[in-house]
Amino acid sequence: MPPQAVAAQPRPAGTGTAPVPMLDTYREVLTPEGVALHLPAAGPVPRALAWLVDLAARGGLMLALGMVLGLLGGLGQGLYLVALFLVFWAYPIVFEAAWHGQTPGKRALGLRVVAGDGAPVGWLPAVVRNLMRAVDMLPFGYAAGLLACLCDRHGRRLGDQVADTLVVHVLPRRIEPRLPAAAAMAPPQALQPDEQAALVAFGERAPRLSPGRQAELAALLQPLTGTAGGEGVRRLYGMANWLLGRR
Amino acid sequence: MRQEQFVERHKVEWDAFERWLHARGENPRAARRGAAPVGLDDGEVPARYRRLCQQLALARRRGYSAPLLERLQALIQRGHAVLYRAPAPRWHRAVEFLVAGFPQLVRSQAGCMWASLLLFAVPLVGLFVLLQFKPELVHQLLDPRQIAQAEAMFDPADPRQALGRDSGSDWQMFGHYVMNNISIGLRTFAGGLLAGVGTILVLVANGLNIGAVAGHLQAIGHGEPFWRFVAGHAPLELTAIVIAGGAGLRLGLDLVAPGRRRRRDALVHAGRIGARLCLGVAAMLLLAAFVEAFWSSTQSLPAWLKYTVSAALWLLVLGWLWRGGHGRAAAEDGDAS
Repeated sequence: MPPQAVAAQPRPAGTGTAPVPMLDTYREVLTPEGVALHLPAAGPVPRALAWLVDLAARGGLMLALGMVLGLLGGLGQGLYLVALFLVFWAYPIVFEAAWHGQTPGKRALGLRVVAGDGAPVGWLPAVVRNLMRAVDMLPFGYAAGLLACLCDRHGRRLGDQVADTLVVHVLPRRIEPRLPAAAAMAPPQALQPDEQAALVAFGERAPRLSPGRQAELAALLQPLTGTAGGEGVRRLYGMANWLLGRR
Repeated sequence: MRQEQFVERHKVEWDAFERWLHARGENPRAARRGAAPVGLDDGEVPARYRRLCQQLALARRRGYSAPLLERLQALIQRGHAVLYRAPAPRWHRAVEFLVAGFPQLVRSQAGCMWASLLLFAVPLVGLFVLLQFKPELVHQLLDPRQIAQAEAMFDPADPRQALGRDSGSDWQMFGHYVMNNISIGLRTFAGGLLAGVGTILVLVANGLNIGAVAGHLQAIGHGEPFWRFVAGHAPLELTAIVIAGGAGLRLGLDLVAPGRRRRRDALVHAGRIGARLCLGVAAMLLLAAFVEAFWSSTQSLPAWLKYTVSAALWLLVLGWLWRGGHGRAAAEDGDAS
């Protein structure tokens, strides 16, 4: 596309689409380029599990260190305490800031810390959110953090709110969904964008459903297809193919 | 334009961008070093990225299918993460921060620092003076075991006590001081999030505790070994606690009275300041732990030498906080330091 054609667009289109109401915990961030990023915020349960994994990793590390350093007497005890300090305070900070926002536990659970605007988390926010654990832990077992997490729209604990960070799910790389080939067929009437999206989504997901369920879903669209049962499913596949531009 | 034509037209561009992200985007250090070319010039990437954004917007407008939108969205998300990431930390920045940026930052929060100093020093000095006149009051403040422990530790009649240690236990105490003192410093800051109450409690409690121990030891005549012990690390440790307290008060103040900003923005701002102060405080307390473990505990050195070194350290610390980075343009919320 030549650049002038780009400039000839009346205005960037992304902001012009009708806002789709989302029932998920997505946080929508508008980038300076005017495109909305969708950040899937993580709730307290996977985060608690990640914390437990980290706790086990840290405990194991300290146990191993304790055995080795125990042989060194006073010097070993001193080093053990220094290591304890580092594992307690520096472990999450260093991992989050230097390892793509993930501690080993977060990596295991597919979580990541990002800045509030979706950019990678920097050193200072990583320091803030982890120092604030001291408050989130109050009065026991991260109760304050859990409460803040449940009250916040994006599941942020107090430390996240002060540091302006967010814990998101790392979406697994999707396998390209295959739309079954079918004779392309134009929908009998013009469809809204979300209706088109629903048709294409049906085409991509239906092959993983049982035939009975496919027919049941297709029956909902009887006003559009005019038939029900297997023929209705085939027509929907055809329309999905047509919408994708395969003719 | 139908979706498949659109994909066909731009696919090459997207693939090139993806290859670049894969080769150069993952590691800022490698990117800075300048690795082998990957078919897309680095200088061209921002423009490519903006084109991609435009294409995504167009695709959304035209209602293309979800997988295509998701692919573009994922590409943009990764591009966004690369273009807007914080710069990699550099060592000379860290040194610069400790020498100049930190004292500047402390001075810029002078009000909170003075308040923190008052909250810490008034209970300390007040209690110390009080105990000289009413020494029996100490039993209201410390439990008998603590008193006995402190008395034994600084008993001038028993020179083999904790002050003269072998090097093994020096290391052990070093570890103990690192774990204990730095944790206290960091918690003093974090407590500010409880509307400042946590910080105030920690400051006053520490002031009372130190004042009680010092006052009691002075009153019963164990003062000399005590002062000799604490003189070395006091300049670093006490100022560090006061600074951590100041950072906590700043946080609490911004929570209670955010001024003309949103409360959330004010908190984020105070958090950034506090984090940088905490980095400096941690460095100070690390040094203090070193002094406390390996210098304060040495028995053999004469008292005058210890007091001279202490005075020199006080001058150094206060001079550093007072003049450090003076005249240098204030670093505006630098993220990398």
